[in-house]
Amino acid sequence: MEDKKAQFDFVWLFAIIAGAAILTLAIYGATKFSDTTRFKTDSKIAKEIAIITDSMQAGIAEGKTSSISLNQRTRINNICFEENFGRNSISVSTRSGIGEEWNRNGVPISVRNKYIFSEKIIEGKKFIVFSKPFEFPYEVSDLTVIIPKEKYYCFSGFEGILLENIQSLNLPNAQIENCTIELATKICYGPGIDCDIRVNGDHISGSVIKSEENIKYAGNLLYAAIFSDKEIYDCNVKRILYRTGKVAEELSIKVDLMNARGCSSNMKSDLLIWQHLTTNATSDELKTLSNQAKNLESKNNGELCGVWDWKD
Amino acid sequence: MWSMGLERLNKKGQMKIQQMAFMIVAVFIFFILAGIFLLRISFAGLYEDVDRLEREQAIKSLEVIADMQELNCGSSEYFCLDEDKLRIMSEGFSMEYEDFWSVASIEVRKIYNTTREDIECPDINCNYYNLYDSGQRNKETESTFVSICKRVRSGDLRYNQCEIGKLTVGRFINE
Repeated sequence: MEDKKAQFDFVWLFAIIAGAAILTLAIYGATKFSDTTRFKTDSKIAKEIAIITDSMQAGIAEGKTSSISLNQRTRINNICFEENFGRNSISVSTRSGIGEEWNRNGVPISVRNKYIFSEKIIEGKKFIVFSKPFEFPYEVSDLTVIIPKEKYYCFSGFEGILLENIQSLNLPNAQIENCTIELATKICYGPGIDCDIRVNGDHISGSVIKSEENIKYAGNLLYAAIFSDKEIYDCNVKRILYRTGKVAEELSIKVDLMNARGCSSNMKSDLLIWQHLTTNATSDELKTLSNQAKNLESKNNGELCGVWDWKD
Repeated sequence: MWSMGLERLNKKGQMKIQQMAFMIVAVFIFFILAGIFLLRISFAGLYEDVDRLEREQAIKSLEVIADMQELNCGSSEYFCLDEDKLRIMSEGFSMEYEDFWSVASIEVRKIYNTTREDIECPDINCNYYNLYDSGQRNKETESTFVSICKRVRSGDLRYNQCEIGKLTVGRFINE
């Protein structure tokens, strides 16, 4: 009788231990599987964002604005590497229902031929993406800016070309003058009251002051300076200036080919100097460089056969 | 008699434990197989997604590459490649851009009034520019038509001399 009882207890004990082990394994497996699926989705979103920036290329247009809508609250992480052509590394993490608030980042996607300006981590369900061409003095590339749609901006005191350019961005989360949203980031031109960001300068060059930091800009880099972290901005500016130098080098070789077929140009030495000035330049030199760029542009316009932007 | 009964009970108990152990092993194997099956389905989808995204990227990059200052005729022209820049790039300048491209290869061919055979530039009567090749053998290509132009001067007249061409990019395929 005692043996039967012992046997019964052992069977139950065995079943409970084995059952618990199976359940634990099943739960662990399910969690891991869901983690992997989420990791896969996050990596896919990052790749899709990189592809979206390709279609955001302004081309012959003045600029393009679009939006990205995601199914759930998402963090986009932007890391910039500045060596030579450099790259932006974009990774995505979504909000988790279990354990840690945010899942680990998906596979980072490297974007080498684009300049993505944003804060280091942007969070939201909807994002605004806009692009503007960067001409220095020839068009070097497009500047792509990503901002969360739920963050509001208020532009105050802007006039003339700058005002027209801001209006042409068509940002759904920005108001120009008469701002009604209380928590909006206030961007003022020149002096103003309760400003988070101040802009001093014009559409050619100037500086943006935010969080007590002075960020120099030239041309459309103004919008990148307003909406981006200084670290990301400085890194991307270094990358784009390096590329400006490489294009200058290529154009200087092109002058030789043009001269050989009688379409002569005197731009070679200017382009070589421009290459030397820009290749290792930083954002602090943008104001000086933009004066040089202006001179270079007027010289190219005066040429019989322009080295870039042919005009009939 | 009593000890024989006890032995039978013991054997019966052992049988039950054995049955349960086999059952547990079977359940484990079932879960493992189901897991592998799910993972296979999931990763098959992943490979398809990667392939689709690579294809999308290659198609989009046609426009990006044609619009790059390093290759284009100017910011006001669309799908127009500067022949001088093509020549510079194909003669080794593109080596400096090695890590820059998001595609496996970039080629440009003149397609109007040329032989079918590829004659690599800068040879005489050339019709083919090899701008970049990552060396990947397993690749698929996407292409688009472009104008290939150069600025020429005849007396006081300056004009763009253009030909029809095809820009082809190779996309990475998982080997």
